[in-house]
Amino acid sequence: MNRMMISFMLNGRRIETSVAPKTTLVELLREHLGMTGTKHACDSGACGSCTVSVGGRTVNSCSVLAVQIDGMEVGTVEGLAEGPDLHPLQEAFLDHGGLQCGFCTPGMLMSARDLLRRNPSPSAQEAREAIAGNICRCTGYVKIVESILAAAGKMREKK
Amino acid sequence: MKDFEYIRARSVDHALEVLAEKGESAVKIAGGQSLLNILKQGLMAPDCLVDIKGLEELDFIESNPGTGFRIGALTTHASILDSEVLQSSCGVLASMERHLATVQVRNWGTIGGNLCMADPSSDAAPVLIALGSTAHIRGPEGAREVPLGEFFLGYYETVVQPGELLTEISFPAIPPATGVSYEKFRNVEGDAPIVVSSAFVSLEKDGRTLSDARVVLGGVASTPVRATAVEDALKGVKLTPAAVESASGLVAESTSPIPDVVCSAEYRNKIARVLAKRTLLSAFEEAKAAVGGKKHR
Amino acid sequence: MEYSVLGKKVRRVDGAAKVTGQAKYTVDMALPGMLAGKLLRSPHPHARIVSIDASAAKALPGVAAVITAEDTLKLTFGNWRRYPHLLDEHPLAPDKVRFIGDEIAAVAAADEDTAEEALTLIEVEYEILPAVFDPVEAMQDGAPQIHTGPNVRNNVSETRHIEFGDVDAAFRACDRIREDDFSLHAVSHAAMEPHASLAQTDTDGRLTIWTSTQVPYYVQILLAHTLGMPEGKIRVIRPHVGGGWGGKIELFKDQYCAARLSQITGKPVKIVYTREEEFSCTRRRTPMKYHLKTGYMKDGTLVAKEARAVLDGGAYNAMGPTALYLTGFFQMFPYDIPNYRYDGFHVYTNKNPSSAMRGFGGPQAEFTCDSQLDMIAADLGMDPAELRLRNLMKPGHEIKGYCKVASCGIEECIRKAMKSTGWKKKRGNLQFGRGIGMGCYGFMSGGVFNWINTPYAFSAAMIRMSVDGFAEVYVGSAEIGQGSDTVMAQIAAETLGIPMDMIRVTSGDTAVCPPDLGAWGSRQTLMTGNAVKMAAEDVKKQVLEAASGMMEQNIVYSYDMRDGKVFVKERPDRTIPYQDAVKAAVRARGGLQIVGRGLYTPHGKGMVSPAFSFGAQVSEVDVDVETGKVSMVNVTTAHDCGQVINELGVEGQLEGAFVMGQGYVLSENLATDDGKVLNPSFVDYKVMRAPDVPLNFTSLMVETYEPEGPYGAKEAGEGLTNPNAGCIANAIYDAVGVRIYDMPITPEKILAALEEKKAAAGKKKPGKKPAARKPRKPARPAKKTRK
Ligand SMILES: Cc1cc2nc3c(=O)[nH]c(=O)nc-3n(C[C@H](O)[C@H](O)[C@H](O)COP(=O)(O)OP(=O)(O)OC[C@H]3O[C@@H](n4cnc5c(N)ncnc54)[C@H](O)[C@@H]3O)c2cc1C
Ligand code: FES
Ligand code: FES
Repeated sequence: MNRMMISFMLNGRRIETSVAPKTTLVELLREHLGMTGTKHACDSGACGSCTVSVGGRTVNSCSVLAVQIDGMEVGTVEGLAEGPDLHPLQEAFLDHGGLQCGFCTPGMLMSARDLLRRNPSPSAQEAREAIAGNICRCTGYVKIVESILAAAGKMREKK
Repeated sequence: MKDFEYIRARSVDHALEVLAEKGESAVKIAGGQSLLNILKQGLMAPDCLVDIKGLEELDFIESNPGTGFRIGALTTHASILDSEVLQSSCGVLASMERHLATVQVRNWGTIGGNLCMADPSSDAAPVLIALGSTAHIRGPEGAREVPLGEFFLGYYETVVQPGELLTEISFPAIPPATGVSYEKFRNVEGDAPIVVSSAFVSLEKDGRTLSDARVVLGGVASTPVRATAVEDALKGVKLTPAAVESASGLVAESTSPIPDVVCSAEYRNKIARVLAKRTLLSAFEEAKAAVGGKKHR
Repeated sequence: MEYSVLGKKVRRVDGAAKVTGQAKYTVDMALPGMLAGKLLRSPHPHARIVSIDASAAKALPGVAAVITAEDTLKLTFGNWRRYPHLLDEHPLAPDKVRFIGDEIAAVAAADEDTAEEALTLIEVEYEILPAVFDPVEAMQDGAPQIHTGPNVRNNVSETRHIEFGDVDAAFRACDRIREDDFSLHAVSHAAMEPHASLAQTDTDGRLTIWTSTQVPYYVQILLAHTLGMPEGKIRVIRPHVGGGWGGKIELFKDQYCAARLSQITGKPVKIVYTREEEFSCTRRRTPMKYHLKTGYMKDGTLVAKEARAVLDGGAYNAMGPTALYLTGFFQMFPYDIPNYRYDGFHVYTNKNPSSAMRGFGGPQAEFTCDSQLDMIAADLGMDPAELRLRNLMKPGHEIKGYCKVASCGIEECIRKAMKSTGWKKKRGNLQFGRGIGMGCYGFMSGGVFNWINTPYAFSAAMIRMSVDGFAEVYVGSAEIGQGSDTVMAQIAAETLGIPMDMIRVTSGDTAVCPPDLGAWGSRQTLMTGNAVKMAAEDVKKQVLEAASGMMEQNIVYSYDMRDGKVFVKERPDRTIPYQDAVKAAVRARGGLQIVGRGLYTPHGKGMVSPAFSFGAQVSEVDVDVETGKVSMVNVTTAHDCGQVINELGVEGQLEGAFVMGQGYVLSENLATDDGKVLNPSFVDYKVMRAPDVPLNFTSLMVETYEPEGPYGAKEAGEGLTNPNAGCIANAIYDAVGVRIYDMPITPEKILAALEEKKAAAGKKKPGKKPAARKPRKPARPAKKTRK
């Protein structure tokens, strides 16, 4: 089996590894690197549980080949908190009940962060649209949207 | 998924070279949003993937007041959505992109990949056809241009040959006294359309009489289709809601939907009629406003 | 009484692990030397297995083992240990396959690719048998027989009959009768985490399995049965679970095969279902055909009801027979109907098995019940809310031989929901295209079902308190996202009077925790909660005994704990830190740690549930009259869950249940053609996404006190799956005047009904509504198919 060397930044840390070309980014993260925070629920780009950021924007890591992110920056849920301090989104999800089983949560948080980077004051409708690619079977989304808006408020206050 | 060789193209020329060398055993991958699902399901098992995603020369959006717009094939949906140029001078594209797939798919998937996939319910194809787009294709024999309306051959099939690349889409600047609109019908959000319609309307100086129209429907045949019977019925007619309503009844002359797990063929036709009507009316409103000089795009 | 942690909005105890990505689910687990397992499934809906040749698969490099029925004990298994005639499934099919996806063999190999390749090398020769997919056809003479056996006739695997009052006399005496037919479709649990197991067998033959389950204890005892091992040699660990909804309340093939393959190979074996397997080969919500007949008086009093349901059970019983019972039982909830008769038939078909799913027969029942109630109201020219109010159960309602309802806040729920939504103003008065509808429900709060035939209490808890005052709570309940660990921590904290962060809940490890029936039937808060409360009281008693020795107060005084202190009840200013009392208690007993124990089993509570939750649901919808598409505008739910334990949890459960219900009515449909699932992916199986759900969602809490519940608490979050279909159907009727009898209510069906209505209006003169039939006319001839 042919393998290729790739090198990329993962949550600010350089990773050099060899992968088979058919390895998807989610497989690289979860199975090769043991970074299981990113989830893998449909393998077809339809549920968003594998959402990570690549080059600053979110992608479904099940629908990107690992070889394609060579040289890029990848961010996962494990890189959200800064040291012991949770990201305001993480705090808000805890305070506002933005999670239940938690399986969609890593992807949801990544999508929410992507939104707040582009739009620090989203409306409820904008927040809903921003997570339309993330299926949550537990919460009915109501508290997720509340959490995102609350985090946005906190983040604006801080600035 | 079967193992394959992976080659990252450095340039369009390099990509064409590799494709020529590898022949039919090679497949191009752009964002892979559609392709990887096909490979995972084993519907295709190429020996070699030629990655064109990183080709910066095909990642651009250009607007020239005279000649119109050019969008490189490797431009992501997100770039189109976020493009200020397009937002201000071709709002219909942005509104189409806002509803295309999901943020994640838009961030990585490309407009070229969307068109080359030739999914009959693509959001992008009908709008681009309604805008009068041309597909620019390069291959071993050089470059060629194909009107986007003739680009699609059937389910998941286009005129692009295995050794060729779609390099860009161009369309003329939107003329005065015209309107373009788009509407998508689906039962849940974040979903591909059941039916999609885009209408282009241009009016005579009176601001009422239709001089030209393009009504393009997706999801109702193996390719996007022009509702020519509807268009013909309205040409030279003073537009009224009633006239549009009755002409829209002719959509079924151009469609050939098939029933599937989502809905019946008849229902697709019914929706096509409603969307044709709605997009015609909103394009008409926009055109009227353009004639009156009230609104810029 | 003012509680210190109950009734508050508290953070989930497992939340921090989940938002940081540290929480490990079964799918995240790995062990050194682990093998990947895959299952070979039948491509045919019905076939006899003539032969299986696995030699080529076994010879493939990288393959460690291949198992078929020959490598099993060929025992049937299931949750029905008390009712063995219902056990009809084998770990691997020994002779026949009964649905597309039926498991035939399993492979363990070095990696998934190799395992998958090995599957293609297993040669199975089939003799294809005629198949049947429709339950009514399957009941006819001459239909293909899917199972044979003394208890199965014409594919009917089980029947249920419920009857009280004098139904026939009541029908004869009532003013009017309405009869309607409804049909309900299949949907999938579609939990975000697929079924997954990782099993390891030690050299001493002990088995440990990490698995995504709602019922660790069931998995333990059913593995013991199917593997022929003592229960004590099996340890089931339930890591974080990514959703269940009834789809994980049985022993499944991933669990059995991972375990068996680990025994044979001596290596850890992990099996994770693909999303396609999840949709096409796991359980689904039972499709039903319902005939409903209701007799009522002109003033709106409901006097008699008769229901007949034919259930499309799929290839195996699974938990279908319970859905068969519960759909008939909850058909009458939350109404006081003195004369009721139900006959249900659970029928095999060559499709994937139907089983438990959130609501467990309730959503089907309430769709038919709520739809018909609105038709009755229309017939009487009555407000449908008034019709409901007129016929409600009251606290203390008893159905002899079935159940007793202690707390019941349904009336307040309806009134609150009406008030909050402006029902009176809106209903019947909104512009064409917008409508408002109501649905109501009552649901169980823990089932009194002991199919599994366990001698243990239904729930048990153990609490260890250490000398620094921290409490370790051990429970067998299954935290699957519903928040049960948090509820247990709150109940323990409240009872012990110490902060929640001094409690740690360990649940779902059969080697450490006491047995518990697990997470189904909305039972954890009430049943395990009672056990935790009892265990905490036991701990407290021991601490207070020591404190009383230390504080040397007048013997007439008594003691309690609160805010981390032991205090004299009559002189609350006299306190000592409770840790001091804990230390004294430990010393006094030669160093024995303080351990409290508690348990709960319902006694004398009938055969359904020790308590019932209630609620009223009001939805406002917009219907696009040109396309038939429905959009949600507002949703208000008023829910009686007794004492609220975690308000954040209750609200989240209600919202989630509503949206799952919304999908059930409007978009989800596990469609099959000749037994093949047509949409086994999240691309084609349409669940609701964030922009689809109502922007305004109001949860109103109606707090009652349930004497049987811990601190008066009962169910939240399953029952609300039940009223949504009827509620939305009623709102659609209010919006555009069409009634859909077969689910799901797709835009296409609404549009067709609108067109039909238009065509009919064109023909007929307006004015007379099709009146409900007078009872004197001969009732519908009884079906001959009853056995
Ligand atoms: C979950 C999901 C939802 C979606 N929803 C929608 C939707 O609502 N509306 C919609 O319109 N689409 C939808 N799509 C499709 C999506 O738009 C396309 O997948 C995407 O645009 C394809 O772009 P890509 O760059 O990823 O193409 P790829 O997947 O890389 O390629 C697709 C095909 O085109 C070929 N190809 C790609 N680029 C070129 C080129 N420049 N020249 C020649 N051939 C080329 C490839 O060989 C391949 O055969 C959805 C997809 C997913 C996964
Ligand atoms: S696992 Fe990648 S989108 Fe579902
Ligand atoms: S919290 Fe369970 S899927 Fe979202």
